[in-house]
Amino acid sequence: MKGTRLATVLLLVLAVAVAASAAHAEAFVLRDDAARQVSFTRDPQRIITMLPSLTETVCALDACDRLVATDRYSNYPAQAEALPKAGGLDDVILELIVSLRPDLVLLSRSQRITERLADLGIQSFVLNSESYADIARSIQIIGRILGASARADTLKRHIAATVEDIGARALAQRQGLKPSVYFEVDRAPYAAGPASFIGELLTRLGTRNIVTADLGPFPKLNPEYVVRHPPDVIFVAASDAEQLAERPGWGQLRAVKERRFCSFTSRVTDTIVRPGPRVAEGMQALAGCLARVAP
Amino acid sequence: MVEARATSGAQQGRAVLSCHDLTVGYGTRQVLDRVSLNFAAAKWHAVVGPNGCGKSTLLRALAGLHGVRSGSISLCGRPLSAWPRRARARRLAWLAQHAGITDLTGAEVVRLGRLAHGGWLAARQMEDDVAIRRAMVATGSWDWAERRLSSLSGGERQRIYLARALAVEAPVLLLDEPTTHLDPPHQEDVVRLLRAQADGCEVCVVSAIHDLSLALAADRVIVMGRHQLIGHGTVHEALAGGWLSAAFETPIDVVDYKGTHLWRPALDP
Amino acid sequence: MFGARGTVSTPRAAVLANRATRLGAANGMALWLMGCGVLTLLLTACSLVIGTSSIETSWHWLWMPDEQSAVVLWQIRLPRTLGAWCVGALLGLCGATAQGLFRNPLAEPYLLGTASGAALGVAISLIAVDSTIGELAWAGRLGLTGAACIGAIGATFLTIALSRGVLQTTRLLLAGIVVASVLAAATSLILLTKPDIFRAMQTFLLGSTAFLGWPSVALLGSVLGICLVPGLLWSRGLDALTLGEDTARSLGLSLPILRLALLGMISLGTAATVGEVGVVMFVGLMAPHVVRETLSVNHRQLLIAAPVCGGALLQAADLLCRWIIRPAELPVGAVTACVGGAYLVWLLWRRNRDA
Repeated sequence: MKGTRLATVLLLVLAVAVAASAAHAEAFVLRDDAARQVSFTRDPQRIITMLPSLTETVCALDACDRLVATDRYSNYPAQAEALPKAGGLDDVILELIVSLRPDLVLLSRSQRITERLADLGIQSFVLNSESYADIARSIQIIGRILGASARADTLKRHIAATVEDIGARALAQRQGLKPSVYFEVDRAPYAAGPASFIGELLTRLGTRNIVTADLGPFPKLNPEYVVRHPPDVIFVAASDAEQLAERPGWGQLRAVKERRFCSFTSRVTDTIVRPGPRVAEGMQALAGCLARVAP
Repeated sequence: MVEARATSGAQQGRAVLSCHDLTVGYGTRQVLDRVSLNFAAAKWHAVVGPNGCGKSTLLRALAGLHGVRSGSISLCGRPLSAWPRRARARRLAWLAQHAGITDLTGAEVVRLGRLAHGGWLAARQMEDDVAIRRAMVATGSWDWAERRLSSLSGGERQRIYLARALAVEAPVLLLDEPTTHLDPPHQEDVVRLLRAQADGCEVCVVSAIHDLSLALAADRVIVMGRHQLIGHGTVHEALAGGWLSAAFETPIDVVDYKGTHLWRPALDP
Repeated sequence: MFGARGTVSTPRAAVLANRATRLGAANGMALWLMGCGVLTLLLTACSLVIGTSSIETSWHWLWMPDEQSAVVLWQIRLPRTLGAWCVGALLGLCGATAQGLFRNPLAEPYLLGTASGAALGVAISLIAVDSTIGELAWAGRLGLTGAACIGAIGATFLTIALSRGVLQTTRLLLAGIVVASVLAAATSLILLTKPDIFRAMQTFLLGSTAFLGWPSVALLGSVLGICLVPGLLWSRGLDALTLGEDTARSLGLSLPILRLALLGMISLGTAATVGEVGVVMFVGLMAPHVVRETLSVNHRQLLIAAPVCGGALLQAADLLCRWIIRPAELPVGAVTACVGGAYLVWLLWRRNRDA
């Protein structure tokens, strides 16, 4: 509900901006996810992004040329991968950022560097990037900032349509059957619940997550839980797949005995875990594996 | 229970320190039971008794370092508890039986004795320096004023601690085993020092010394037994009354040799 | 034999005799301080030229500054190294005070549970940022620095309260251990419910000087000034404590007041450093030891020399952590842990050899 209200506000802003002029000469103020009011007087021409999904969004809006640096995990597209790397999520290299004289730094919420950047007179904008809804929102906001609102709109519609399509085909192919899935994020075991981004994608593909929503987005499970709620398909890292049978009680699971595993390369995993413009690719990968492996 | 035998000599000289019906204990154990004593100025009082009879406890209680269950202590005419902390510290110097090992120099340790005199920041003053030098020369420890205490022998350290107590220049000196670690010549010097403090500086000296021959050189003795105070008075009165034998629960033989009282150990089979 | 008793020629002669012997010790201290001062200047100069740019470029910048390089040099590197010095000085001061107060050479500034309290504060702040629970929202607005500071001070209060205000050293130490364990458990529970804050917390706890700007330097400098006051006021009291608690009391010292003042100073100083740079191990332990190994000092001198030593130590660690894998950085807490661990091993080896 909050999302649609925000979207409405943004659409109004968008309408005003489009109606005004294409020269992007007007100042506007946006509220970022750290509850700061950030004002933009002109299009930022030198941008640094500190989160892979934000990098991909900027490039998807055809503004890749404006990027001067990214974080070290941004590896798509190739143009972004070649840019200087300004650190990771928590160890941002301040000197590099300052020496590149950016107009704007896009950050995710969890970074302490925002205060220092403000002290040094560098404009920054915080954008959450965690859920499916954040994808459309990020595209919208970044599009507004870059003065590419029309392209943002098109991109959003395209992504939504593709995702819808993939979901519908997946459901149709299984004739309404909902296989139960278990997505293991870490060996501990940490699972992805329906409240996480991955969980949302899986739900859109018409699967049932054995983890319930009340357990949280990434609960650390008791391994016994998986045995008591046997999944039809197990999503797991390829290296861990081999020793699943050795876990106590897991050898009896049908999914383990019949080897109904789904593993992905790291490049494909990037599309699944990053709430960004490549979400459709990620969903396609998930759907493809499900089609092959589900009973 | 043997009645504590006080004698008429107890009231001579003004009593700068006294306790009345003092009862002190540790937890459930009672150590001192209704002890009443007077300590006069310009006199050296020696507290003697067997191990565990409460000599240290008495001195600590008199110094205000141990809680009393009942009874009162008065210092220079006022109750001990009525004295402000620093004023009391200027009037009453206490030497511990066991001191901590420290890395300070000898002079710094002795300077600590002036803590109650100076301001809080204790800026160096002429008086302090004079008092320190006087105390260290008196105890023969001036030579190692700049040496670290950890590098000194037990005896040298003891003399520094003694100098620290003397540097307070208080009218009351409470010394718990001041002759610990000292070899015989230096023990003599301590005795002479205490004598000089009492006679020359009119200090009220109260010492707990377990060496009987040294203790019997004092003006007055306080003899404590295992469970109660046996008596307090001059040395003659103590010897005449057999207080020492009563306190130690075994015959104590004291001989008079050239005017000095000496304890003769009974070594014959 | 005891010498001639008490015949002082004149007071003036006595004083001059005293002062002559004291000068020797004072000279040693002055030399040492000057040496540390030179080291600090050297480290500051190195900090200006070491960073993400090469040394030649930085050197070039010093002589021909442009707007960009001026920001890097004077807004990033200089406050960072000065802030590191202030943090090291605070940790050295609090460590020396803790060691004197508890009469334990292994005492260090975090022994009152400050580190665990700060970690809990940081954890709460991180989960509060988007929490729907209204009460936690203010915790998010405090920011990590404020939350860590408040958590640290809160843990100290808890420790003092747990030792039932009696403030005896053994009880305080035990209470500190209990509080640290309990708060660490609470932090782990929070981490379980929201594991995605784990990395942010780890980064914070490993210590980082990367966020020190001029405001931080001002804050740390003033806290250092404030903390020096009780330290120097009660330095003779700490000296007296080495002779034993009873002796100290017989000298007119009020032990409860001394303990309260010095504990307050330790918690304020440590909380300020944890808020700004996180948990930096070993500096508070090592600085007083290094001073005592090279100089013989009483507490007043120690409480001046230990901060100077600690400041230089942390400056050097900050320099190392920026240089080893440049342009990336190591967390400064990891560097101090390695150096501190090596120092302790060396101490043990030396003790075994001498034994």
